[in-house]
Amino acid sequence: MIEYPEIDKYASLDSPMHRFDPRAKIIAFLFLIFSVVLIPDLKIAFIGLFFAIFLLILSRIPLTFVLSYMKWVAMFVLSFFVILAFTFPGEEIARFYFLHVTAEGLYTGLLITVRAFSAFILIFPMIGTMRVDTTIKALDRLKVPNSLVQMLMFTYRYIFVFIDEFQRIWTAMESRGFKLRTTLYALRTIGKAMGMLFVRSYERAERVYQAMRSRGYTGDPKTLVEFEIRMKDYLLAVSIIGFAVSLHVVSFIVM
Amino acid sequence: MKKEVIIIRNLGYTYPDGTRALENVNMAVYEGERVAIVGPNGAGKTTLLLHLNGILRSTDGQVEVFGKSVGGVKREEIINDVGIVFQDPDDQLFMPTLFDDLAFGPINLGLNEKEVRERVKKALSSLGLSGYENKCPHHLSYGEKKKASLAAVMSMEPRILVLDEPTANLDPRSRAELIGIIKELNEREGITIVIATHDVNAIPALADRVYVLNRRIIAEGTLQKIFSDFELLKENNLEVPEVFKLFEVLRCFGYNCIELPLSIDEAIEHLTRTVETEGGHIHLHIHEHTHDEVKKLKSKYEHHKTS
Repeated sequence: MIEYPEIDKYASLDSPMHRFDPRAKIIAFLFLIFSVVLIPDLKIAFIGLFFAIFLLILSRIPLTFVLSYMKWVAMFVLSFFVILAFTFPGEEIARFYFLHVTAEGLYTGLLITVRAFSAFILIFPMIGTMRVDTTIKALDRLKVPNSLVQMLMFTYRYIFVFIDEFQRIWTAMESRGFKLRTTLYALRTIGKAMGMLFVRSYERAERVYQAMRSRGYTGDPKTLVEFEIRMKDYLLAVSIIGFAVSLHVVSFIVM
Repeated sequence: MKKEVIIIRNLGYTYPDGTRALENVNMAVYEGERVAIVGPNGAGKTTLLLHLNGILRSTDGQVEVFGKSVGGVKREEIINDVGIVFQDPDDQLFMPTLFDDLAFGPINLGLNEKEVRERVKKALSSLGLSGYENKCPHHLSYGEKKKASLAAVMSMEPRILVLDEPTANLDPRSRAELIGIIKELNEREGITIVIATHDVNAIPALADRVYVLNRRIIAEGTLQKIFSDFELLKENNLEVPEVFKLFEVLRCFGYNCIELPLSIDEAIEHLTRTVETEGGHIHLHIHEHTHDEVKKLKSKYEHHKTS
């Protein structure tokens, strides 16, 4: 069974992050993520990481949930770490046959790793504390271009439908003896199945468009949503943004 | 004299790939009535329905709704009058939450926020879906999605409701619920109903008049007239309701009747009347022709089997 994406699985919990106004939350966290990703100094980067973990704990989202997604990021980032450690020019501190490990390489690799993990962890208190449709509507209220918002809305809605369709195609294939192997035949079959999925999606899109026109669609769907921004939200946003800025001020001083 | 709300004159339609889908279709629907369009798969039923709200506009013939030609009217006006519920609910529930789907129509009609919320609430409760506002469609069962797609059209409060295979793939309870809801919409609010279906057992509950479509209009009339014409049904891959078949069998056993009931309700009425007029009893007996007649009846109903 292919799993549905459920980033908002814990959106119904209660925490200061959950109660943070969606629009202010998105802006504040985007600021923080950009800041954390651009920190030039490793020590400050660690402070950024700890702050990210702090916000995650504040949001009450279970760590096991975050860790289950973490492995994909870790694989990607750690390979960078290894490559950088071995190829970055600088003062050699160890040697394995023809491969050198440099101090600068280790430093840069570690910096990138810490920054990536910080950014990744911050996504959870930002987006994991709201229902996906709330996030999309908040983006709409933040004046994100309407066509982009529509794309996000329909992608979210129909990703489940496509997963189901692919699952059905897959079950049908397995019921007729198909086994997943790395043979050319298997890969071609999977390719054809994905092709079928595209065709079905295209046809479905036609039908959805007819249904939308039958209910008056003219090009920019409006949604009704109640967002109320309060003083608490402004304060929280300002403190987060302030912290993000201070990280850079401090790294500037330190360097 | 009842007002005609839909008039279709000489409608023809060809698909972009050249296939002729509709040929010289003439149809009239009166206010408050319930009309069923039956026909085999590929008869053009869905194509015909899509002409009713201007999604398809053919230059070959005319379609008028409430006296205005569908080709000449703006989109917002048509959807005020005609709401189409398509067959696959996943094609019609395209917003992230049910509330958004039900609000989509009213927002496009230009209603203010308060009115939109009221319409959504009303549509949800009339379909028994109160409390489902924030549900994402993929968390609903098929029956619930079918009801939700009907609710999404009803929130626009159209005067004509068009449904494409509303009972398809539903479990018996959901099917009965949906039929009940459609009946109520017609009886309580006077909404005109047009249904394309081949669920012949549902037709007695949902329609007063039937059009048989197979690219052209083959026949039109009351349910009795259409279902009594066996050749017509056979040529168009259709059948009579089970209750009707049962009474045809009873006829072989001596049950006397000219007009056969099409549904359980009609059967109850029929039997009660017959019992009363025959002095408190119904007589069934086996006479010399009974077995032959029953055999003929069975082979008649198994005409699709290649012997």
